[in-house]
Formats: sequence, structure tokens, C-alpha cells
Amino acid sequence: MTRRIEQGVERGSRITIFVDGAPVAAFAGETLATALIASGRIAFRRDGRAALRGLFCNMGTCSECFVQTAVPGRAPRRLRACLTPVADGMAIETGAGPDG
Amino acid sequence: MADFDLIVVGGGPAGMAAARRVREKGLSVAVIDEQQRPGGQILRQPPAVFRVAGWLAERSYRPVKAELAAFEATQGIAWLGGRSAIGAAREGDGFVVHAAGPGDLLRVAGRRLLIAAGCYDLPVPLPGWTLPGVMSAGGVQAFLKSQQIVPGDRFVLAGTHPLMLIVAAQIIAAGGEVAVVAFDQPRSRFLPIIARRWTSALRHVGTFAAAAGALRLLRRRGVPVRFGLPLRSAHGVASVEEARFDGATVACDRIALCYGFVSQSDLPRMLGAGVAWAGPAGGWRTLHDDWMATDAEGLWIAGETSGVAGAAVALEEGRLAALGILRAAGRIDDAEGAAAPIRRRLAGLRGFTELLAAVGDPTEALARPNPPETIVCRCEDVTQGAIAAALADQHAPNAIKLATRCGMGLCQGRSCEATLLRQIARASGEPEGARGGFTARFPIRPARIGDLIESGTVAIEATNSSVHAD
Repeated sequence: MTRRIEQGVERGSRITIFVDGAPVAAFAGETLATALIASGRIAFRRDGRAALRGLFCNMGTCSECFVQTAVPGRAPRRLRACLTPVADGMAIETGAGPDG
Repeated sequence: MADFDLIVVGGGPAGMAAARRVREKGLSVAVIDEQQRPGGQILRQPPAVFRVAGWLAERSYRPVKAELAAFEATQGIAWLGGRSAIGAAREGDGFVVHAAGPGDLLRVAGRRLLIAAGCYDLPVPLPGWTLPGVMSAGGVQAFLKSQQIVPGDRFVLAGTHPLMLIVAAQIIAAGGEVAVVAFDQPRSRFLPIIARRWTSALRHVGTFAAAAGALRLLRRRGVPVRFGLPLRSAHGVASVEEARFDGATVACDRIALCYGFVSQSDLPRMLGAGVAWAGPAGGWRTLHDDWMATDAEGLWIAGETSGVAGAAVALEEGRLAALGILRAAGRIDDAEGAAAPIRRRLAGLRGFTELLAAVGDPTEALARPNPPETIVCRCEDVTQGAIAAALADQHAPNAIKLATRCGMGLCQGRSCEATLLRQIARASGEPEGARGGFTARFPIRPARIGDLIESGTVAIEATNSSVHAD
């Protein structure tokens, strides 16, 4: 499991985002990738063989960490989770499916 | 009409050093960076709302932290953070750079352009490397430095680059567990460093000093550091569960791969600057003159864009590029005099860069064959077998891309190009990179079509870079 470092670290305010419909606790300032991994979600999508895939480079280059926004009535935007800061109430969908 | 006298792409050591010095002479400067805050990968800053006590307190970070503090204190630089430069083209007597943000696309026009876009971890295919939990060492390190998380329980570090020692020590210091640091190469490859460790200059090169300090910490904590132990494959069901080496299997939930670094070269290639293949790790280094100017008029480079050499060299090249730009703009009297000490320091650093490259040389690791089902192109799921079949018919990178979809995915070939070009070289008997690479195309980062249409941006035809033998 992923752990947030506690010693000597003050984070932003506690917020909630929604990942594949489920609430996930996060801190302001964190990236979507951090919120996902810290909640135990290490898979972000499935590849063409339906195999699970996770983030690889964590610096915007590999494109493995794409997720999409899930706002009712609005077209989804695809985002690189490693570059995108979380915002309170943000709703996203991974491509990992139920067993991800 | 240009918005800025200078656009800098990349807010790491090189970009910061150049932007600040150009701004201080009264020119207008914009800096575009994918991260929210400046510093580059070496100083991936925590989010602005975080407070982190003793952040990157190790001695080796001091010179770049000093540059970061000076950059952040400089008035009047337009910081365009959280934006990806997705393309660059000539416009009028300057350039336009397209900077994609989370919900829009900016057109930034500038009289001159400096690319200091840094580098990324060399992706090295092996069986199981697409399992969740297998990451680049730089990616793991960025989680530690910036996000202040330990992104796993039990790490295996595998590869050839001495950075592994530093990342392992940072994991341990943050309370994580490192199962093993496995160097692919034999211990004998490190002898030149040990032989030279007491020379005064070597102690001042951050990487070596930091690696030596990290090694001491790992020894104290009983973390095994092995040499001549190549990682063969990663295994697991939903995510990685074990790393397999010759004669050893190590349980873990994360593997960090660390075989070296590749320059981000899309923008200089798109603008037609001359490039050359960058040695064993591969990728394209952009060629430059004594002032860091490329052979494309008005286009400068600095830092890892000129070939991966680390933050100390990047700082000096950024300073030199600033002088070159000020000289071209007629804003400095004695550029030669100011450049002389920088060039001396760069010459002094060259030996250590070469030593580090020799120690971390990934050639043997990269030559090890993989089974045909191994994925090479992560985006399009193209296997080693499919590439081998295509290589039987042709050796042109773009032709193999069309035939197999290798390099056609969202990452634009950044993950697979070096691997493919090595295999082309092996099949053709020609030097690596002799056939050029994939064409760098707009947009170099994924962009939403709606944003392109709404901003009136049209796709720009890429100019093929001229590839130089060396």
C-alpha cells in the first residue's frame, strides 16, 4: 500500500473526489495520481488485451495514466492523472473496471 | 507581433537559469512548464499549499535550490505552469508555441525560443513491465519529492544508473522498504569512480557525492545492493508481486526501473534543428554552437536537450544560453568575457559526465533479447514478435511504425522509439539512429480536438530534422 508521509508534512485541506462513483479522500494540492494510488487504486486503465495498466513515468510523458472526467451532462475530458491537481467534488472515471 | 522577447519551454535548472538572466537585462520572458511550480524534475516541488520541513535538505540539491530561489524572486517573468507545450512553429520573425492547459489552449508568440525541456527515464521493455506497480525510478522519486507519499510497500530497484542508490535511500528515509537494489552491470564498472574518489573535483559533483552518501545509508539499514544481477521479468496478477532475477525471485509490490535518461527532443526536431543519436541510452540530443544556439535561426537549447548530463551542467548551459540570447539581442557588451568562466566550468564537468555515462552504460542490458510476447510499444500493445516480423521486410522507422503501429499511440513514441531504433540498427548493421527516428508531429502531447478548434489552431506540418552522424 501507498502511504502519505506524515512527519514534517502539512497538507492542504481535506477534500473528497469521486473515482468510478466511489468517494475517495484526498488533500488539496495532490495530483489525481496520488489520490488514486493512495486509495489503493494502482491500475488506471486496461490495454487492448484487457490487461490492467498503471502509471509509469509520473511526469506527463508516457500517457499511461489517462483518466476522464465524469460530469453529468458534459462531454468527458481526458486528463493525465499525474499532472492534474485534485479539486473538491471532482468526479473521474478510470478505465480499469471493477477489478482494478 | 511577439508577446515576449523570449519563450522558454521547461522550468528546470537550465530554463530557470536562462530565463532569470535574460529577464534581468530587461527582456520580456515567458516560461512554459507541465508542472504547476518551477524546479524541473530534480526539484519537483511540493504543491503550493503543502508545508514540508527540511525539503530536499541534502547538500547535492543546494546549487539548484539556490537557482530556484533566485528565479522565484525575479519579478516580471510570465510563469505558464501546468501547461504542456504541444507544438512550436515559426511565425513572422519569431515563433509561436501552443501551450495546452487543463481546459484551454494558449498561443504564445515570442521573438526567440529556448527549449530546456529536460529528459525522461529510458523505458526498457522486459516481460511483465506493463504490470501496474512497475514504474520508472524517476516517477517513484517524484512522488517522494513532490507529493510526499511513499508509493508502495516493498520496492525493488533495478537497472544500471547510480540514481537508483539515491532513490532507494529516499524511500528508506521516508519510511518505505527496499527489498534490493539490483545493478545490472558488474561491480567492476564502478572501479573508475572508486579510484578517483579522492580527487577534489569529484567530491563536488553532486551525483557522486549523493550516491556515495546513499550507499552508506543503505548499508547501515541492511538493504542489499547487488551487482551483476540483471532483472529478467516482473510477475503478478492484478499488479506486480515479484521480480525475477537469474537464480533469485524477490517478493515486492513495486519495481522501479532505472537504466538512464532520454532527452525530450520533440520540439527541436519539429522545428528542424539538427540532432544526433545520444549514445547507449539513445534518444536525440540537439546540436548547438558555443552559445547554445541551434542551427535553426532564433532557436536555443540548454540542459538535457543537448544530451543528458545532469543538473550541474544544465545550470551552466542555461547561463550560457542566456548570454547567447542577450548577445543576439544586443543587450550585453562583453558576452565573451562573461561566457569564459562558464565554459571553463562546463569543460571541468565534462569528464564527470563521461565517467557517469560509462559507469551507468546500459548497453548490455538493452541488448538482452526478450520473448516475442513482450510489449515494446506500451500505448499500442505492439509486441517484440511483431517488430521482429516487420524488421524482416524493412528498416525505416516510420515504415515500421505504419506497419505495426509501434510509436503511433498517445505517448508519440517516447516509450518505444529508442528500443525500435536499437533493433533496427541490429537488423541493418548500421549505427543506431542512422535511419533517423519517428517524425515529431504536432501535437507532441495529447490535446483535445475541441480545444484545438476553439483556439483556431491548425495542425502544423513538422519539418524533418536533419540527423547528423555525430
